[in-house]
Order: sequence, then C-alpha cells, then structure tokens
Amino acid sequence: MLFTENEARAICEKLLSYVKADDAAVGVGSENYGHLRFASNAFTTSGSRENVNVGVTVWIDKKRGAASTNEIDDESLKATVALAEQLARISPVDREYMPTLGKQTYKPVNGYVDATSNISVTARAKTINDVITACEKSKVVGAGFHQARGSAGANATKNGNFIYERSSLVSLATTARTPDGTSSGYFLRNHYDVGKLDTGRVANEAIRKALDARNPRVLEPGAYPVILEPQAVADLLGFFAFSFDARSAEEGRSPFSLPGGKTKLGEKIFDERINVYSDPWHPDLPGSQSAQAGLPAQKITLVRNGVLENLVYSRFWAKQKGKEPTPGPVNSIMESSQPPIAVEDMIKSMDRGLLLGRFWYIRGVDPRTALQTGLTRDGIWYIENGKIQYAVKNFRFNQSLMELLAPGNVDMIGKAERVGSSEGQGGNASLLPALKVKAFHFTSQSEAV
Amino acid sequence: MTTSRRDFLKTAGVAAGALSIASLPSWLTSVTAAEEEAANGIDKNALADVALNTARKLGVTYADIRINRYRNEFVGTREQQVQNVSRAQSFGFGVRVLYKGTWGFASSRSVTADDVKRITQQAVEIAKANSVYQRKRIALVPVEKVVTSWKSSFERDPFDVSIDDKIQFLLSLNDSAMKTKGVSFVNSFMGFVNEQKFYASTDGSRIEQYIVRANPSFTVTAVNRANGDFQTRSALGGPQQMGYEYLDKHNWKQEAQRAGEEAVMKLSAKAIEPGKYDLVLHPSHLWLTIHESVGHPTELDRSLWMEANYAGTSFLTQDKLGKLQFASKIMNFVADRTQPAGLATVGYDDEGVPGQRWHLIKDGLFVDWQTTRDLAAMTGQKKSYGCNHGDSWGSISFPRMPNVSLQPGPNNTTLDDLIAGVENGILIYGDGSYSIDQQRYNFQFGGQVFWEIKNGKRGEMLRDVAYQSRTTDFWNSCDGLGGQATYELGGSFNDGKGEPGQSNAVSHGCPVARFRQVNVLNTARK
Repeated sequence: MLFTENEARAICEKLLSYVKADDAAVGVGSENYGHLRFASNAFTTSGSRENVNVGVTVWIDKKRGAASTNEIDDESLKATVALAEQLARISPVDREYMPTLGKQTYKPVNGYVDATSNISVTARAKTINDVITACEKSKVVGAGFHQARGSAGANATKNGNFIYERSSLVSLATTARTPDGTSSGYFLRNHYDVGKLDTGRVANEAIRKALDARNPRVLEPGAYPVILEPQAVADLLGFFAFSFDARSAEEGRSPFSLPGGKTKLGEKIFDERINVYSDPWHPDLPGSQSAQAGLPAQKITLVRNGVLENLVYSRFWAKQKGKEPTPGPVNSIMESSQPPIAVEDMIKSMDRGLLLGRFWYIRGVDPRTALQTGLTRDGIWYIENGKIQYAVKNFRFNQSLMELLAPGNVDMIGKAERVGSSEGQGGNASLLPALKVKAFHFTSQSEAV
Repeated sequence: MTTSRRDFLKTAGVAAGALSIASLPSWLTSVTAAEEEAANGIDKNALADVALNTARKLGVTYADIRINRYRNEFVGTREQQVQNVSRAQSFGFGVRVLYKGTWGFASSRSVTADDVKRITQQAVEIAKANSVYQRKRIALVPVEKVVTSWKSSFERDPFDVSIDDKIQFLLSLNDSAMKTKGVSFVNSFMGFVNEQKFYASTDGSRIEQYIVRANPSFTVTAVNRANGDFQTRSALGGPQQMGYEYLDKHNWKQEAQRAGEEAVMKLSAKAIEPGKYDLVLHPSHLWLTIHESVGHPTELDRSLWMEANYAGTSFLTQDKLGKLQFASKIMNFVADRTQPAGLATVGYDDEGVPGQRWHLIKDGLFVDWQTTRDLAAMTGQKKSYGCNHGDSWGSISFPRMPNVSLQPGPNNTTLDDLIAGVENGILIYGDGSYSIDQQRYNFQFGGQVFWEIKNGKRGEMLRDVAYQSRTTDFWNSCDGLGGQATYELGGSFNDGKGEPGQSNAVSHGCPVARFRQVNVLNTARK
C-alpha cells in the first residue's frame, strides 16, 4: 500500500520530533512494484515487491550524518534518527552544508494513475500472452519485460518545508528473434498511465524489425550519415539534460569546460535548431514538482537554438559563485525549433546512409568531448537513393556527443516522443526526436545479433 | 543501478544505495540483528513454516522463503572534506513458488506471520495467473536437504570499526594523493556490505549465512587549466569479500601517492599511435576483460536466450560445448564459489545448492556452463552448480555469475619475463572504459595507466589507449601467463543483470598475461 499524504506527513513529523540536531531533512517513500518476464515465447519470472524507505539526514554544528531504514515502527524511527545524529557528531564539518529550505510552494504535477500502480496480474498475464501469440504467429522467438510501479513519498525539513508526491510508471519491452538467431528486433515504450501504453504496437514493431533485419550484409566501418530513431537517441542522450553541471564545467572536468576555468556558456555548441530543456508540467512527461533539496521545480532551458544558455548550479556551488541555485532539471526534453520531419521523409531525403533504432552498452571513453563507445543492436539498415536497400550487420561506434549535435552535423530533426533508454529497462523516460546526422563514427564490425 | 530504483530513492529523499540495505539498532546497542529480531518476536523458522505450509496447501510443487537483512555503510570524501557518511539497512522477505511449471514471487518489508501468509498467497496468485498461458513448464533438478549455517571469512567486522577511524584513513589517503604538484582533486570512499540471509525451502533445507564485503576506492584528477585537459587515475585494488583488515593488507596510501604522480604524468604522456600491438595486461586490468568476455558468455541462461531482451544472448551456443577452442591451450578458467576473498563466494546459493569449483575453459577448450536448478533441468543435467542469487529479499533469485578466474601458469614467470618477450607493445594497469556487445563477441577496453614496451623493456607512459578485439581471437592470442606470484583478485561490487535489474558482487583472479597483435585505438581521435 502506498502512503497517503497524511500517513507520509505523520511519519515525517514523527521523525522531526525525534531530531535534536540543528538541522534535518527527512524523507519517506513507499512502493508497489510488479514485474513479468518472458523469453523463448514462454513465461519466466514474475513477482511483486512492497517496500517503504525512511531516510534521515541531520547536521550538528554543520557536521552531517545520514541513515536510512525500511522499518517504520517507532523504535526503528527513533534509532534511525539517533544513528544519523551519532554519525554527525563524529564527522568533520560539512564545508558544503546549506541550511535546509523553509516552507515552499509547489505547483502540482499529475504523473500518477491508480490503475498503473495497482495493475491486475490476470490482465497483465493476458497482455503478455497476446505478445507471445503475435510472436508465434510470425514465427519469431519473443522475449520481454513488463513492469508497473506506483510510488508515493514525502520530504520534510526541520525548517518547515514539506512536499508529498506520487508517481506511476508502466513499461513493456519486447525483443523478437528469428529462430535461426540471425536477426533481432526490439521495441520499448512506457507511460505513467497503463491505459495509454500501446502494448500491441510494442510487439508488432519488435516483430517487424526482426523480420526486416533478416539476411544482413557486411558493411565496412567508417563515418556514415545516419538516421537515429527516437529509441537510439534515448539510448545515447536519455539523461542529457542532467549533464549540464556548472561545478564540473567550471572545475575544468566537463565537455562544457573551456581552458582557464571558463565555460562554453553563451556559445553556440549545437545545431541552431536544437533546444534542450526540462519542464515538470509537460503533459507527456510529468516531472517531479521538487528539484534539488526541495526547490520548487521550474521550466529550465539549458540549450536554446543551439546556444548553451544555462548550466546547473547546486545550492552550494551557486552560493560560492554568487548565482541562483537551479530549480531543475527534473526531466529531459529535446526539441527542434523548426517543424518536425517524419522518419519516412528523412529516409526519402537520404542519398546514402544508415537507419538504426537501438544502441547498446554505451560507456564513456573521454569525458572532455563526451566521447561514447557502444554498439548498434536489433536492426540497422542501409539506405540508398531514398529507399531502404537491405539490413546490415552491427557496428561498434566511438562518437562524441558534442560532435554529434554540433552545427553542421545535424541534418534533420523529428518529433519528440516519450521514450525510455533500453539500458535503463524503460524505467525512465525522456522526450526525444529522431535525428538525421551527416556523420556518425563506426569503428569496427560486430557479429552479435 | 536501475533508474527506476533511483527514482524511488529520489522520492524517499535519501542517499543512493540506501534502498537495498542494512540494520541500525544493533550498531547502537551492540546487540546482534538476530538477537534483536528474536526480541521483536521474529522467529524465522516459524515464519518459514507459515510460508511453506501455505504454499503447499495451494498446490505448488516447490517453494522457498528468504528472510534477509542487509546492512550498508558508505563513507565518501574529497580532498580534506567528508562528503557523505551514511548507514542504511533493509529487512524483509520474499517467497518464490513454482506452480504448474510457472514461477511466482512476492515480497514485503513487513515480516509478520500474517504478512508472510498474505504474500505467499500473492506469489501463488501471480504464478497461477501466468500459468494459464504457460508454454514451457519449468522444472528443478534435486538438491540434498541441508540444515546449517555459514559465515564468510573476515578478521575485523567493518561495522564494528568506528566511523572516525574510517574518515581519518580516507583523509590521510587523500593527503598522499595530493602530495604531487599538479594534482587537482581526489575523491575517495569506502563501502561495506553485510548480508544476513535465511533460506528455507520445501526440500527441507534451512540455511543461515552471514557475509561481509569491503569496497574501498579512490580517483585522483589532474587538470591542466591552460589547455582544458584533465586526466584521472583510479585505484587498482578492487573490492573483496573481506573485513576491515583489507584496508591494512593492501597498501592504499602508497598507491594513492603513486596514483597522484601518474595522473599528472598522464597529462603530458605520449599519445598512442593506433595500430596492432602486443599487450601485457596486469591483473588489475585483466579481471574486467575476463568478467565481460569469459564470465558472461558462459552463463547458460544467456545461451538459452533467457536474457535476450536485455543483457543479450551468447555466442557460445549449445553445439560449441566441448568443441570450441575458446582460448589458447595454456589457459584454464575456473568458476569457483569457494575461492577465498571472492565476492561471489558462498556456503550455499539462494536455492540451497552448495558452493562449488569447476572448469569453464580447460586447456583452452570450452567445457562447461554456469547453472542453476532450473537451467540444469532444461539441459538434461543432473545437478546445479549453484549460481542462483537474489540481490535483496525483494528480488526474485535467478542465475548470477560465480567468481571466474584465470589460473596462473605452471612456472614462476614474472611480469618482466613477459615484457622481455615484446618488441613493440603496451603494458596496461587498471580497469577503465569498457563495452561489449550483447553476444560477447566484440569488445573495447581502456585502462588506468599505459606504458610503452620497446625491445623487451618498459618505456614511456602512453595515453588515450583502448583496445578492440573479438573474444576468441583475443584469448587465443595469449602466449604467456605469469606464475602464482603475479596472481591477484579483482572484481565488481555491482554487476548488473536481469529485469528488473539486480546487482551481483563477483571476483575474477588472474596472473599477468601477454597477448599478441591486438588492435589498439587512440580514444582522443575520431
């Protein structure tokens, strides 16, 4: 059972009443979580978890201690506060201590649907049976993962702030493979409202891709023009809005750093059509009402028309630098300032290049340029003269994200879609467009399917 | 860590990692968690009876209950500041049932007899709902009933060492790292885990286990503000299944000073010229290549496409068993859940199977898999190798990697002996960037420190090095292994797998080893 606002408030107040420290931030969370996996066209593991969590952070003479527990009887709550205070007493002064916030006013966000949180296990079983049945009819081997979660929790401070929030999320990912193991397709979508998750589309797209990716040919690695579907963009840039940290840029440790402790703020770093922002009230991607340390979240533009407009200041770093702390980001949105172009039209416009829908095992190689390595997965196709010609085998890439979006490299931008990163298993979401870019750097072939 | 878990933590407003963790009152009162649970009226054997009897009455063919307590502690610093001191705990239970060949699982943090009964019914309800549409019934190979307890090997329980000692250790380590002119930052931390696990099943087994693991580490950064360049050097020592004595057994402070010197040297190191090189790989680096390209492809669930939607399948198909020359003939890879200090070492796995040791690759030939009771049954084997693991009371247990280690060569070959046999090569220390495809064919690995080898001798420091290869090409190119004296244990504290994602701690030991003509990139160039 998820905490109601009153239940969450009561635990927060109880925790704060035990606090003897100078300052404190407490949090309580509750979770209903259910999941179902399938593989080889059969049900594998499935389960549920109900849990709560209580976190206490205190400061005594600016010395910080933190403890958490999932036991919420009075004795455990008291012991958790006492432990946090004990840890604070023996810790050195927290030089980055900022007093907790007093009462704030939040503008509500609607990102919770009861039917998602309390999903029916029989309805879910039937949904997955339908996916498996579709795979069997198309003579492919299906595997996938369905999850549904409801969360409710609150944060409160000794200085008088309190916020209660609920959220929900449901996702379905499906992989379809041809029985000979030579072709594979994948599709993933999520939503906060189970009624708006199109599970049929997820299954059909995965199956279509597996069938379309048969008989792949070998292409030499190198720099190719590519069309990246929203899933591929999410895999590369899903957390992009969260990477604009001011401190690391000013300390010389970020792709937004310049020599001499300067940053690229105000410079045109990306194609002039690109906008990156966070908006808690976006109807397709509701974010948290609360940003860092409980600051009321606001809409924040990080990149406007390709220009780096904002870096994100923590409360501590803002004070050091005489800036305002940044009330976000709480979600990640990339949009074009021009009318969006459909993927079909991107294909028609391409003389020669590649279309792909998923990246895998992406890891940073060089943080100075946001150079990433990883692999293509589950379908990549060669395009010539505006038409898909044939499937090709996978590649490893080494690609700088800064160069990917740089002026001169972005050709076309699609409509932003709600999509989760595949390495994140659909447990997160961003609004990201398809991209057509002039050069993407593939460095070796991969036999993997 | 999955983002979904991070979202939950954000809601709860606590430090990352706090969800899956550990016990408080016992630290304050010196009462053990078991005693405290007993004082609170928690009788695990009686609760197990409730779960197993309820499940039996509802018609399951197998059921188990795990009642577990997890304690975590984390101390993090940078330069002369303490950034984070936190302790966390998590207590709860999970019930797993097999009904008409279909798994069901349910779990709760509320450990009472009523909740155990309710959650067991829920687990059966999930299994029943899914069983209506089940196509392939899951079965288990048998295991002997056992009633026992097991404790991992440690000298000093880290949860009994004062936080003050830990902070002083890290700040002193930071001082060592900052001694070198040009070092800009150092981040250091130590994390400790204690798992107190209880398992009972319809096979009649009742097993209690107490496990302690330690994870100290640091990263030193040198920044050249004039040209905007920065370089990092992270610790070479990895996590181990040990107590606080690990902080004394490895020379962390000396290594931190060397790391500072090397981070500064990296700023002006020679750029690697891309091409084919012979590689001499130190255990602090090679463990990760073993993990990704030997550990994961020999997981039987991957070969059976059970992980097709996420981690991927394996290039090792069933027909390659006993036939594929995976590595050169001097190489032997052993899976071992009994290895001293190994992070995946256990008395018993999470379905009552004892820890074991067996060859995966023998004289270079691929000879065996990592298995669990259901995987063994699917492939006609008579017993499980005991690789079942759940990372929390709230996670359904499933196949996870045991310690997988490369055995040292039979002679007393040294690092210098291997270097002496290289005309044009690179010596690599430490794990860096890593990426490998979903069938484990094609990989790319960086490192922490790279040294040129010229005409049999170590030369200048190099930078921006990564190598790419194909798994079997790479392992078959090995022509030199160090002796037992060069053997070290590396490992991962948080190896991710499964849906929902779960974490596993696993070690990989190896000697120094030499590989011929591997493709090397310059990561600073396109």
